[in-house]
Amino acid sequence: MSRRILIIDDEDDIRQVAALSLETVAGWDVIVASSGAQGLLRAAEHQPDAILLDVMMPGMDGPTTFRELRKNPATAKIPVLLLTAKVQGPDQRRFADLGVEAVLLKPFDPLTLSTQMEKVLGWD
Amino acid sequence: MASNPPATKPSIADALNRLWIRFLPEIEGRITILETASQALANSSLTDEQREEAHAAAHKLSGTLGTFGLDRGTELARRAELEFEKQSPSVVPAELTAWISELGLLVRSRQ
Repeated sequence: MSRRILIIDDEDDIRQVAALSLETVAGWDVIVASSGAQGLLRAAEHQPDAILLDVMMPGMDGPTTFRELRKNPATAKIPVLLLTAKVQGPDQRRFADLGVEAVLLKPFDPLTLSTQMEKVLGWD
Repeated sequence: MASNPPATKPSIADALNRLWIRFLPEIEGRITILETASQALANSSLTDEQREEAHAAAHKLSGTLGTFGLDRGTELARRAELEFEKQSPSVVPAELTAWISELGLLVRSRQ
């Protein structure tokens, strides 16, 4: 089934590889945002099926962006998956405690990213 | 909504290679930041600003390199990230320099 995914990440390379992966491997429709603030607008405007959200971003970071998404009734129910290169146990637990659907690790495999997302979102 | 045909491994590999070439200058720039910081650490002249910049560069590299198939690069960048996260990196400077040299070689030799 075709899905619409919003990728919010300040790193151009990660954003483009993730978009390539989801569009090419899964055939999903991808929208991108390069900051938390832009992500909030795009999420409300495009109503994606899920959001892939980077943790470490300048300005509004991933956890803050997530909380803002939850505050807005228009985006409150959109599933959010955090994407992070922080692999330490305490970081992982802190992120999971925010209430996101899942925490995915960077680096990801472009060939299996969509499968990983399908699995955690119950889309498979 | 897009309904692209399923990708074959070569097509995504080709596209990834094109992205690698496009982002290589940025990735090499991050390596240069690490090289400069490790040199400064070896000379006992590492500033807080350099350390923070190196920490951010290592963090970005650790998240990116494995995505392009350089798993060893991610491992080395992660080690550097953990060291530059500390106010005073505790690793022997020569060891950090060796990790970063290997990282540079890996990046510059990827086809």
